[in-house]
Amino acid sequence: MEVQADASTGAVVFNIVGLAATSVKEARERVRSAIRNSGLEFPHHRLTVNLAPAELRKEGSGLDLPMAVAVALAMMRKAPQPRSAFLGELALDGSVCHVDGVLVAARWLQRRGYERVFVPASDAAEAALVDGLEVIPCTTLAAVIAHIIRTQPIAPQPPTAPALVSDGENSECDLLEVHGQEEARRALEVAAAGGHHLMLSGPPGAGKTMLARCLPGILPPLELAEALEVAQVKSLLGDLSSTRPLDWTRPFRAPHHGVSMAGLIGGGAGLAQPGEISRAHHGVLFLDELAEFQANVLQALRQPLETGRVSITRSGGSVAYPARFTLVAATNPCPCGWAGDTRRACRCTPAMIDAYQRRLSGPLLDRIDLKVGVRRVPLGALAAEPAGESSAPVRERVLAARRRQLGRQGCLNAQLKPARLRQLASLDAGSRQTLERWAEQRGLTARGFHRAWRVARTSADLESSDRIAERHILEALGYRLHDVAA
Amino acid sequence: MAIVGSRRPSPYGEAVAEQLAADLARAGVIVVSGLALGIDAAAHRGALNGGGITVAVMGTGVDVVYPAAHSRLADDILAGGGALVSQFPDGTVPRRQNFPARNWTMAALSDVVVVVEAGEGSGALITAEAALHLHKEVMAVPGSVFSALSVGTHGLLRDGAGLVQNARDVLAALNLAGEVLDDPLATPKRLGFELRPERDGILGHLSDVLPMSAADIARRLQLPVSEVLGRMTALELDGAVRRLDAGYVRALRSGKERA
Repeated sequence: MEVQADASTGAVVFNIVGLAATSVKEARERVRSAIRNSGLEFPHHRLTVNLAPAELRKEGSGLDLPMAVAVALAMMRKAPQPRSAFLGELALDGSVCHVDGVLVAARWLQRRGYERVFVPASDAAEAALVDGLEVIPCTTLAAVIAHIIRTQPIAPQPPTAPALVSDGENSECDLLEVHGQEEARRALEVAAAGGHHLMLSGPPGAGKTMLARCLPGILPPLELAEALEVAQVKSLLGDLSSTRPLDWTRPFRAPHHGVSMAGLIGGGAGLAQPGEISRAHHGVLFLDELAEFQANVLQALRQPLETGRVSITRSGGSVAYPARFTLVAATNPCPCGWAGDTRRACRCTPAMIDAYQRRLSGPLLDRIDLKVGVRRVPLGALAAEPAGESSAPVRERVLAARRRQLGRQGCLNAQLKPARLRQLASLDAGSRQTLERWAEQRGLTARGFHRAWRVARTSADLESSDRIAERHILEALGYRLHDVAA
Repeated sequence: MAIVGSRRPSPYGEAVAEQLAADLARAGVIVVSGLALGIDAAAHRGALNGGGITVAVMGTGVDVVYPAAHSRLADDILAGGGALVSQFPDGTVPRRQNFPARNWTMAALSDVVVVVEAGEGSGALITAEAALHLHKEVMAVPGSVFSALSVGTHGLLRDGAGLVQNARDVLAALNLAGEVLDDPLATPKRLGFELRPERDGILGHLSDVLPMSAADIARRLQLPVSEVLGRMTALELDGAVRRLDAGYVRALRSGKERA
């Protein structure tokens, strides 16, 4: 996008043209004050700032700096170096302030062939994550102008070195703290290895939240490309740490069940903001008390669960955000939560349980590959439960299984299309027969059929096995808690 | 006679109700129950399997089958020469306050009320209480002392309800068994469940009442949980085990294959 400024004779007016949103038109006062307070000349006659191309809608305070630079340079009859871009908000005294989304803008500019970007000093480290782009940190408008007219150059920001990956600090929870729950532990490992979505069902206090929090810790750290994508989402939301913009930790997001559609999926006025599912990109989205979420909010999860992206259309235009996350859902077995508990009686009627489980059923449940029951271990008996492995060896196995998948097919098993699944994960006669028998007995959909197949592929990968054996299929079907006899 | 009990029974309770009803129906007894889920449905089904007559006492109008999933069962009851009866006018929808009155009617229609699996506060206990008030015989089938579903039935037994171990106990109470009564010291003739041939050692570790999780089984057999999950799925496919809550129970089969 280009900012042009023209000072001509006529009445003293300051016009901004080129489909500018209110937030951009407000810049007039900031630009005028910032220029005057920086000891620069502001035109005493007709001033027009044109934002080109005119058909594109412009938003945000990040245009303050380019407009002020254009006006100031117009008065001096100078121009900046070619292929330079400017981004920043101005305070009335001329200092350059933080704007959101600098990383996203910088990556876009670099791809478009820009060589240099002027950004607020506080956002310079973020912009310098991008290779092949000179980043000029700006503190004040006066300093920017002085740099351009070469009276006092600003030293470019050195490239931001990615922080070192440190093992073990990937998660706040370690599996070592989970006693018993071998079924859920195994399901977590399969979920991590194959990128499968997981549902934990059990009474309050069974440790569902803790199990979910262990998942990021058994996932490998983010790859550089993944970390950049995660940072971009944070950058758009103004959430990026200025000291450590690139983080290798897998995101873990746990929105409350009262979350709105805009909060979970993305949205808001004008151009949609990323929601929780995009914040969980390459990480874990934990939805506790799944049945308490609004039905339409859960419905909207279907597209991103399937495609790993979400597109949202608002008045300001349509945007697509990445949303490739592992869903961990937790639910009680019934409204009171105690069905199946050995110590407390459940007080729900069969009709209530039925209605409760129906809220969960259907298309969303169909997209969750792994479903396990979690039992509550009474506090006194907790110490007697065997302590399991810590997260580190589990992560090693997960990593090996993921490498096998990426080497074989370039994606995780959960993302395999049915055609490639048939080609890469063929079943022997016995396995196929077992799977078909179950599908017939339980009225499995085609989607469910393929999902069980993919889980079996992951189970085989965890064993470093090229072939899917019947036991892998049988294990995969063991996680299909909600298939009922037809 | 009436057979009543939990709407969420264990496979054990369901099998007992079904077998008992079948044996009694064969002996010419009319089996009364409430067309509800669980024990009620098992009792109706058992009576039909035994080729007998069964009566459903409904808490709704006779034209409103509740739960709707039982409309097939209701048709079968009528086809078997039985009856759907109700004290409520046609079109009455299920209402919580109508069911206790229905339970009284069941007791009034029967000479004996047998309770199979009733937790604390179960509606089946209302039927038992009604039977006591109406001077009918109350009997109960014992269950596992570990099961919450035994609290109500064991309470009845402690308070003097007749013990039911098989159909002959009920026939005796109905004075239909002739002179030969069971010798209380002899081993009771068990209700004739057939366990599937145990081709898998896992089955021996399973209860027919209390669900056991795959993790518990894995620990007992010293097997990885992934393998246990697979083996349980194989047993499930064969109909030898069933999922219950977060675990597995042994599936009991009465003589006839269940629908």
